[in-house]
Amino acid sequence: MTVFKTFWLIVKRYRAMIFIYTILLILFGVINTTNNDTSLDFTDSKPDVYLVIEDENIGLTKNLVDYISRQANIIDSLSVDGLDDALFYREVNYIITIPKNYRSDVLNGLSPSLVIKSTGDYQASLAEMILKRYLKTQEVLISSFRNEEELIQKINESLEHKTEVLVTSKLDSATLNQVTQYFNFASFSIMAIIIFIVSIVLSSFHDFKVSQRIYVSKMKRNTHNRYILMASFLYSLIVFVLFSILGLILFPNVLLSFRGILYFLNAFMFTFVSLSLSLLISKLVTNKEAVSGIVNVVALGSAFLCGAFVPIEYLPKSVLRIAHVLPSYWYIKGNEFLKLTEAFNKDSFLILLENFLVLLLFGVFFLFFNHQVTRLKEKKN
Amino acid sequence: MEKIVELKNLTKEYHKLRAIDNLSFEVRKGEILGLLGPNGSGKSTTINCLLSLLHFQKGSIQIFGKEMMPDSYDIKSKIGVIFQDVAVFEELTVFDNVDYFCGLYISSKNERKKYVEEAISFVGLQDFKKFYPKQLSGGLLRRLNIACGIAHKPELIFFDEPTVAVDPQSRNNILEGIKALREKGASIVYTTHYMEEVEILCDRIIILDKGKILAQGTPDELKALANIEEKITVEVNDLEKELIEKIERFKYVLDVRYLENRLVIVYKKGQNNLEELMDFFKKNHVVYNKIFSERPTLNDVFLELTGKELRD
Repeated sequence: MTVFKTFWLIVKRYRAMIFIYTILLILFGVINTTNNDTSLDFTDSKPDVYLVIEDENIGLTKNLVDYISRQANIIDSLSVDGLDDALFYREVNYIITIPKNYRSDVLNGLSPSLVIKSTGDYQASLAEMILKRYLKTQEVLISSFRNEEELIQKINESLEHKTEVLVTSKLDSATLNQVTQYFNFASFSIMAIIIFIVSIVLSSFHDFKVSQRIYVSKMKRNTHNRYILMASFLYSLIVFVLFSILGLILFPNVLLSFRGILYFLNAFMFTFVSLSLSLLISKLVTNKEAVSGIVNVVALGSAFLCGAFVPIEYLPKSVLRIAHVLPSYWYIKGNEFLKLTEAFNKDSFLILLENFLVLLLFGVFFLFFNHQVTRLKEKKN
Repeated sequence: MEKIVELKNLTKEYHKLRAIDNLSFEVRKGEILGLLGPNGSGKSTTINCLLSLLHFQKGSIQIFGKEMMPDSYDIKSKIGVIFQDVAVFEELTVFDNVDYFCGLYISSKNERKKYVEEAISFVGLQDFKKFYPKQLSGGLLRRLNIACGIAHKPELIFFDEPTVAVDPQSRNNILEGIKALREKGASIVYTTHYMEEVEILCDRIIILDKGKILAQGTPDELKALANIEEKITVEVNDLEKELIEKIERFKYVLDVRYLENRLVIVYKKGQNNLEELMDFFKKNHVVYNKIFSERPTLNDVFLELTGKELRD
């Protein structure tokens, strides 16, 4: 038990660090709770469109212009020569040029091409959707209605037809969002606090001079290692329980439910990965001064790349591709899935199970690598 | 006398370099055996082989009558080691450090507490029990290192250069402590390259160089190997060459050197050499500042055996 006791005596020396990371998480959780903004609300959005009308603005041509004017913001303060610059500087998202004879070509059954210039962004896609919708309707109706007036009337009737969509959800999306953000941020706190403490404490035991003294002692090496592993596991478990209790205090309604259990399970898997990673780091790094640097690189780096601080949907695709190789990504992905899942069924459980499995594989991989490093080091010594 | 350690034909090679070359010696119960040699002579390598910290190519090691193996935990339970480098936890107090290392041997909490208190008192750190290693001076840190190695009351103790970079007062404390451990019945193997330490501390000495034993025996037996009886040093200004030549012709004089107003005369054997020399100076009206006589040291033995100084 002396090894076990010594582990905790060394942990005690670093209690200030544990305190700082815990306070950070509490602060984040509390700030998050007071912010009631719900990011799941729908907002109306109109793209900025510039129209170049080379045809006579009457009949079908006028109808197209009127429709686009209703669906988008028409920008008319630009000079024709400066259109490319306007696109570059995002003063306009979409430029539509209606060619000469557009109206007559349509009435004669031809398919005249519109000249399009686009910024290629989300707003431009919206403008493209609006235009395609109109053209598709016109294309379908032209074969049935050759009379221009009748055709315009039918096109407008079709386009005005609206389908009401009612989004219903039993989820309290605002609170779920807060819970998810709390657990996402906890990925940084859990990883940092476990790597920092476990690596630093174990590096004391792995110090060459100290380990020589342990080796020549009466205590079997395996027994000594078992005590250290037990203490490290218990420490990680305490960190997990502490952060879970904090979560329960902040978000009791969501977390005292089946969904809450799944959030905790995900966090537990991540705690296991953090522990196995810290065991590996403690084998690779014996310099205690280097440990805080490693914490910054691993925990902070993972948190930034995987969406612990910034919502995952705002991260560029290239960053997310890199994040796939980090356990934090899979943990945060699990949290996001729990946030959006309406009902838990076989399919959703399979997705969650796959996520847990990936985390488990990360943990096993780190433990295996740790074992190999230990063997190599022993051989070398 | 009972043999505690018996080492036979030990050979240890690092790649192609032979660090220990067919080494054989024994440690007897209750003695302090000194392993003396310059840096790189193989002292620490020998200790590490004895403790199974290093593999060796040839030879055998028996401790307490049993073959020493990496998993010989029954033998290890009776051994204490004080390494050359201080091996303690920076994050633990003096008491907790000693308690941890003692705990690797003694599981009973009450018994261990008694042992730890005794070890701390033994090295004189009673007033520093709650101090952290960083708060201790170099000498006190060395004492803590010793307390960590002896708290479990081992029967065989290895001291690997425990006084390197230690102030004279702490060094004396450490040496007195080692003597006291011997008096309590422990057998001790002490490695150093300080010849004065082994002269005052050890019952038997082994002089090592390049992994081989150059000589072994009691301090007096070794000094006899130096082939000199006495060395007289005189501080004298402007001594004439003619007088030096006359001294060289004294019956038992082996060698005379005169450098920077210091005259060193080495005698093979004989008695009353100092008296004879003083009479000679008086007759020849030589005025000198200081004159002193000394017996041969282990450095002289080493010089005689290898042709180089022990601290080279």
